[in-house]
Amino acid sequence: MKFYETLYIVDANLENKVLEKEMDDVGKELAKTKSKIINHRVWGKKRLAYAIQRQKYGSFIILQYAGGDLGKMPDFDTWMKLNNSVLRHMTVALSEEPAVHIEEEKSEQDNEKIQQQDTENVEVEGDKKSDSASTNENESKADSDSIQVESEGVKEEQESVSEED
Amino acid sequence: MAFQQRNKFCYFKENGINDIDYKDVKLLRRFVNDQGKIMPRRVTGTSAKMHRKLVRAIKRSRAIALMPYVEKGTD
Repeated sequence: MKFYETLYIVDANLENKVLEKEMDDVGKELAKTKSKIINHRVWGKKRLAYAIQRQKYGSFIILQYAGGDLGKMPDFDTWMKLNNSVLRHMTVALSEEPAVHIEEEKSEQDNEKIQQQDTENVEVEGDKKSDSASTNENESKADSDSIQVESEGVKEEQESVSEED
Repeated sequence: MAFQQRNKFCYFKENGINDIDYKDVKLLRRFVNDQGKIMPRRVTGTSAKMHRKLVRAIKRSRAIALMPYVEKGTD
């Protein structure tokens, strides 16, 4: 049996309930291929390396599963492509069986830190405030650093674009 | 004056890494320049086997917008 991983990006501004519903839909669609889901979790809100559909941020969702009916996988791929709320998706084969992900419990201090970072990010972004998805502590720290550095570059780009207009 | 060449080594062999995950952007960033281009093997010292895996990981990472295809350099 082969194992696969689909990583997909949805709008970062979605509320938690809408996000859960979206993940539910994807899970149902995958169930049609008789694949067995091992992990289906939010990886975190991240800055996109380049804009996709004018979005600068996206919520990354990891879906790991054991392959079922491979003949129906193209249908799942097409469904993901036509799904407007999925910005982008990619399926890769895994070399070994993925371990079941266990959510780490976060202490209150860490949660506060993440919230602070999120508010900073939102200020930089200047977009609608979004419900922050649960993120891995270390990842979110590292990401926020890179986001702050990268945001300067994007500002310059925006300025140059506005000048052209 | 003689130039001393630094010993190059394969980062992955040295650290016992066999599979490169395309989601590990922090690691992949070490092997692209500030323009986002993949650095050649003769610069990084990566073994041929691991370089092939590295290139595949970076290209996957680009496709899912974790890493840029092109980036503004510092110049």
